[in-house]
Amino acid sequence: MIMIRVGLTAALCRLCISDVQSSNTSTRLISTGISPLFFKASTCLYAEPLKKKKRIDPAILKQREERKKKRLEKQIRRLERNAKQLKPIDELEVPLELVDGKKERMREAAVITPAVEEERALLTKDWTRYKRKQHLKDMQMIDRLMFAQQKALDELRQESEELYQAAIQINPTLLPFTVRGPVKTPPIKGYDSPDGEYTDVSKKW
Amino acid sequence: MNLAQRSIRLCLYSTSAQVSRTKWDLMSAVCLERKPVLSGELNEIERKFSRMLADIELENSHKSDHEVRYETETLQAELLKSKSLDLDIEQTLQQTAQDFEDAAVDEYNKFVFESRITEADKANDLQNLERKLDRHLLLLVQQKQWDQKIWALPQGLQKDGETMLQTAERVLREKCGDDLTVQFYGNAPCGVYKYKYPKMFVSREEEGPVGAKVFFFKAQYIAGYVDHNKLKLQEFKWLGREELMSSLSQEYYRNISQFLIDEE
Repeated sequence: MIMIRVGLTAALCRLCISDVQSSNTSTRLISTGISPLFFKASTCLYAEPLKKKKRIDPAILKQREERKKKRLEKQIRRLERNAKQLKPIDELEVPLELVDGKKERMREAAVITPAVEEERALLTKDWTRYKRKQHLKDMQMIDRLMFAQQKALDELRQESEELYQAAIQINPTLLPFTVRGPVKTPPIKGYDSPDGEYTDVSKKW
Repeated sequence: MNLAQRSIRLCLYSTSAQVSRTKWDLMSAVCLERKPVLSGELNEIERKFSRMLADIELENSHKSDHEVRYETETLQAELLKSKSLDLDIEQTLQQTAQDFEDAAVDEYNKFVFESRITEADKANDLQNLERKLDRHLLLLVQQKQWDQKIWALPQGLQKDGETMLQTAERVLREKCGDDLTVQFYGNAPCGVYKYKYPKMFVSREEEGPVGAKVFFFKAQYIAGYVDHNKLKLQEFKWLGREELMSSLSQEYYRNISQFLIDEE
């Protein structure tokens, strides 16, 4: 018992302030609140003690800021890209300026006399008749063209099967074929365009 | 509809190849057309109808930004005259809607469009392609047939190993030179003209050709000019549809008009 006690106090002598080894200790002392032992426990800290703020390298700080900037810019670019793509027609809405200004943009209801109405109705009927005749003429022309071609192919076949087979081959080099359509007035020779020439720089894949 | 049914039947039933007993010369001809550069004028009913449609559209429309601006400015001007409102200097310095409209109309009136009727029309120059810009022009070439010279589409005999289309391309290059750029419409001919050689010009052999079959190939003029070294000025001409009848023989014209596109 004595030996253990002395051992304990010797081991724990660094914990207390007073000089334990020199003082004559009584071996009958049990309590911990007196001189040789002097355990002092701090108050119960339920929370963790505050960590020390370390000094961060300024280079690393800059890196972090740059990364944040880059992320924002990337998002801006993505939004812009979406804005350039055209919306599908189903998603389009009437612009708000027109919806708000509907009153001032409405015209007064035009007075259409019965005479004008009748004239319009008769003109529409004339137009349908005219267009129908045009359509029939076009159909007859197409039939005539097809008949002439078929006759030519038959005559060719009578002459030589080989030439006929060559004639009915599909020519893949024909398409794509582009032609610019008719205009209202012919182009002015040597015209210097005030807006400049238009050069197409779009990428072709 | 009758023609269509007949042609469909021909397609279905002509499956077997029957080599004819009589021998025919095979020729390819080129139907080269300069398509209209200008759109045609509207005729009376088209003009009336387009005007009616424009009126209806105006009645059903809403006012544009320019119109709204114009109206507000006229109202302001009237108010300024009747009651003395504070003149906003900034507003008066800006261009009003009326000013803008006047400036635009002035610019339009000053601009000189090229005339639809060109000098070639006035001079009636048959070799010039600038003639009759709103109609089709067909190339006719003077060709020697037996003892006379006739006007016809450029044609030539087929050589061995050539398809009919290659013959047509070769004929055009030989007659008009390399400068002329054309687009042929495909491998198949669009029409055929069969004629027998008159007996006095044909040799008496049994094996010789009885006549010729001319297969026409349609082509569209794209760019370039006829080479004057190969064809002198009197030997070719570009004709509109109305002028064809006078230059060609009746039978030939009837045959050709079958595969030419109509014009009003």
